[in-house]
Amino acid sequence: MNVIEIEDLTYTYPGALAPVLDHVTLEIEKGDFLAITGNNGCGKSTLCKLMNGLIPHFITGELSGQVRVQGRDTREMDIGSLAQKVGYVYQDFENQIVRPTVLDDASYACMNYAKKDYLERGREALRQCGLTGREKDYVWQLSGGQTHLLALAGAVSLQPDVLILDEPIAQLDPLHADKIYETLKELNEKYQKTIIVIEHHTEYIADYCRHVLLLKDGKVQWKLPASEALERVEELQQSNVYPPQVTLAAYALKKQKKLEEAAGLPSTVAAGKEWFQNISFHGQEPQRKAERACGETLVSFRNVSVSYRSVKGEPKRIFDAFDLDLHQGEKIALIGSNGAGKSTLMKLMTGILKPSAGEVLVGGMCTADVKPENLSSFVSLVCQNPEDMFIKDSIWEDIAFAMKTRNIENWKERTEQLLKRFRLSEISDRDGRLLSGGQMRRASLAIGVALQPEILLLDEPTANLDIATRKEIIKTLDDMKEITKTVMIATHDMQLVCQWADRILVLCQGKLLADGTANEIFGDRQITETAGIRPPEIFTMGQMLDPRAYCYTVQEFVQAFGGR
Amino acid sequence: MEKVMKKLSDSVLDKISMDFLRNQVLKNAYGNDDTRIARLDPRLLLVWYVFFGLVPWFTQDLVFLTGCFLLVAVTTVMAKVAGLVLFLFGVGVFSQTGYLFVVSLLFGGNTQTVLPLLVLTLKVATVSLASVTVFSGLDPDRLSNGLLWFGCPERLSFSISYAYRMLPMLMEEFQNVLLSFRLRGYAPQSSTVGGKVRYLIYQIKMIMQAFYPLMLNTAKRSRTTVEALEIKGYRYGAMNKEVRKMKLSALKITEKDLLFLAGSIIWIGLFVLLAEIL
Repeated sequence: MNVIEIEDLTYTYPGALAPVLDHVTLEIEKGDFLAITGNNGCGKSTLCKLMNGLIPHFITGELSGQVRVQGRDTREMDIGSLAQKVGYVYQDFENQIVRPTVLDDASYACMNYAKKDYLERGREALRQCGLTGREKDYVWQLSGGQTHLLALAGAVSLQPDVLILDEPIAQLDPLHADKIYETLKELNEKYQKTIIVIEHHTEYIADYCRHVLLLKDGKVQWKLPASEALERVEELQQSNVYPPQVTLAAYALKKQKKLEEAAGLPSTVAAGKEWFQNISFHGQEPQRKAERACGETLVSFRNVSVSYRSVKGEPKRIFDAFDLDLHQGEKIALIGSNGAGKSTLMKLMTGILKPSAGEVLVGGMCTADVKPENLSSFVSLVCQNPEDMFIKDSIWEDIAFAMKTRNIENWKERTEQLLKRFRLSEISDRDGRLLSGGQMRRASLAIGVALQPEILLLDEPTANLDIATRKEIIKTLDDMKEITKTVMIATHDMQLVCQWADRILVLCQGKLLADGTANEIFGDRQITETAGIRPPEIFTMGQMLDPRAYCYTVQEFVQAFGGR
Repeated sequence: MEKVMKKLSDSVLDKISMDFLRNQVLKNAYGNDDTRIARLDPRLLLVWYVFFGLVPWFTQDLVFLTGCFLLVAVTTVMAKVAGLVLFLFGVGVFSQTGYLFVVSLLFGGNTQTVLPLLVLTLKVATVSLASVTVFSGLDPDRLSNGLLWFGCPERLSFSISYAYRMLPMLMEEFQNVLLSFRLRGYAPQSSTVGGKVRYLIYQIKMIMQAFYPLMLNTAKRSRTTVEALEIKGYRYGAMNKEVRKMKLSALKITEKDLLFLAGSIIWIGLFVLLAEIL
């Protein structure tokens, strides 16, 4: 039975010239777990908003064709009765939470629709989403992953048959991401909900989804079972969707005429184990350079302790007697789960946060004696949320701001140069907030390097980006080498860490758990388990096939197993 | 000595940092939800407030006013109001009337000049502390329910509780924007007295300018919020009488409420009596 049927649907946003969705016809079966994927702006979110009736009931526009939910045309239903059939979780989910406490928010919709047992329903939804025990908490006390689960609970509370989630794991570390998908799986299998996710992370599609729908420029390319869909490597890549690393490796080996006889392509590590069984590791211990760039010491932490004021009770201690040295020319990745102290470490270096004991020396200056304003030509921080960096009404002015206030020579020319280098010249007069995700990141990087700092600190530069934009940012990082030699990145993105960093710092509950190269970190199971970090899939694959294999990229894997 | 002075000025600066302000505001809004005052029925507390907010203006009796003042002082302590709010209260009362009281004492004022000023100061202080108790001690969400019961429009009560939910997020965002300003701006040197003044002006200007990006960021967020409210049936709920009844059914007068009311009445009655006798 189909829960959603779409027939020859064409939709144009008010004022837009071309339709976002173009003659879409689609059927979604009850109980399916469907991933919708495609490039940015291909109409994924629009399609989902059509399914829950926000279009055309709340957002108008030109609509032809039909959307039927459980056999009824959405145009003939009101938004309230639709909400009880189709739940929706936004990509910026924290903005959909409107009540101060957890149970309040989870039961809010039920209360508004005058369900007498609204509190019970709220509690049930929290239970289904794994938030039992947090009912009385304030929403800001939850972690990012829990906040997402709460947004989900708010949608689940009405017990709709269909749940739609727009990029559910874009901002989460791997452990939280797993939790979200496990919850969805349970909702799907135990409570027979139809789940629809908009998703770029093909590893998760491979592990959890049953079907994949590829949209391209507002048209449906195909809808296929997940394993079959992920084998269509070329078509996916044309839409800027990157299949799992295991699939890519298998595809490359097949193309090299190795393993021609094997059928299909694997999409998970488990499937890969069987698929790759006939190839062997060619014994090249990876030539990762072990020596470190040992320039002069730029930053040192000496016995640093920091604590935050908390709303209730004792101050919360983040660091206790922390020591660390950073040298010129290093490319440092700072990893660890949410709340391990990554952002705090960076704020300490900018001088905006002062240690309560010990000292932080930046370029020989003790941060306690210097104003952050004076440190900023030496250290520069690019915030996790690019919006927080846009303080003027055009990115031209934003990039120029720091140079202008310091009266740096040729600041106008330098602004133009930076705009050009970061490919922003054409949009230089636009407000940063209105740019696309990738443009916003590039602009924030340009702002960060404007003063040519000795050290650049980047907080989660690839969070919230689709894979294509992510690649673009990694390329930009390489381009920046000429401006700033020493860079530190705090991130959950292990592919970025492996491709880019030469020194990895692992933080765990305010302690430096490990400090070394990728081999030293990912090769040590105790470290990865304690800190809750996960190596890239291809590394796990390589290790499973041969413990001597340390492959961090698809290319390294193909060389190590395919070569000769 | 120099070191001590530096330490002192550092700690004063630390006290007025954004982080401190944020913490105080949050403490005030969320940190005292387990006090006796916070658990009282909001309707009762609003009635209580109407009494202590109005009656002091219409009496001149020193004994009675002292009684009122003592009572609201006790409730303020019970509500565990954050230090900053009390400090602002102190500054407020002093700048309104308190300084006149002190000045007249210093310059040989006799009881005839001092007494009326004392009465006025007590009135202002009582009314302010009563407001502090109710509006800071009571959880804003419960306050908005109380207001709803008294027939305030749904929109007002929703706004109060929504602001309550958004506050930490906005504070954090504001702090981040300020951080951007600080890191990229160029502060004037503040070693001389003139420099210190300029530095202060610079900081105030920065705080004002930081509001502009904050507004835009908030506007961007609200697009999702508006849609989410629609899906969550906010409009249905606001118009439906049944929903209003459900919301308010959570409000219950308990023994503790009655005890609080009785305590207040007895205390005030005592002072009315005292005022009669004296």
